[in-house]
Amino acid sequence: MAEPRAIRVVETVLRCYPARWRRRHGDEAAELAALLIKDGTPAGSIAWSYLAGAAREWLTPRPGRRLSTVACALLVAACSLGVSGGLLASAAPARAATSQPRGLAHCQPGSLEPVPDVTRAIGHPQVIIREAGHDRSC
Amino acid sequence: MAVGKRDGKAGQDVLRRIGEASVLILISLADEPRHGYALIQDIKDLADVELGPGTLYGALDRLERLGLIESLPAEDRRHPYRITAPGAAALRAHLDSLERVSAAGRLRLQLGGI
Repeated sequence: MAEPRAIRVVETVLRCYPARWRRRHGDEAAELAALLIKDGTPAGSIAWSYLAGAAREWLTPRPGRRLSTVACALLVAACSLGVSGGLLASAAPARAATSQPRGLAHCQPGSLEPVPDVTRAIGHPQVIIREAGHDRSC
Repeated sequence: MAVGKRDGKAGQDVLRRIGEASVLILISLADEPRHGYALIQDIKDLADVELGPGTLYGALDRLERLGLIESLPAEDRRHPYRITAPGAAALRAHLDSLERVSAAGRLRLQLGGI
């Protein structure tokens, strides 16, 4: 990576730190990175080190940062994960139902039995193929 | 020879839980104040450890919060750091503790005939 470009990458990563940290160490950290790059240290490893440092900086509780702020941030993150998971879960049966006719093409012939519970759940008839003692649904 | 929490000395060793990087920084600052780049170079020479800059600043912040080091007025854009009296005491206690563990290890190797 060319030197000016490498320094720009590191400076971009330094913006991930909290403002308080940047005010305190920002200039020095950029200068240190430039010196290390000049010495031949790969810019990627410097950027990675700063990125990990920024993550630690945000996750470490500080006296100035209220515990409730950290708790709220974690709650919001957990909620967004929950909502995404819920959306994915609700989309999966719908996708399965719409792609069912195509899915039957790869099934091997076997003893076909309708499964009433599955039929109630997704609104389409479903078959289970029994092969060597295992139930495989198509 | 019992080494550990039972003899009560481990409780005085505040550096036990703050990681190797912090100990190396304190050792590097033990003889004279240094700024970030000089610290990285010195630690590379004395311990053959390449400290990442992110790790360095994390450790410097932690040590400063604990009052074990202090930053001196900036020279150009660089802040030199200096070890404080509590920092020197903590480092001495930690090195004593390491020496006890090291001696016990050597003794056990000798007793085991390995």
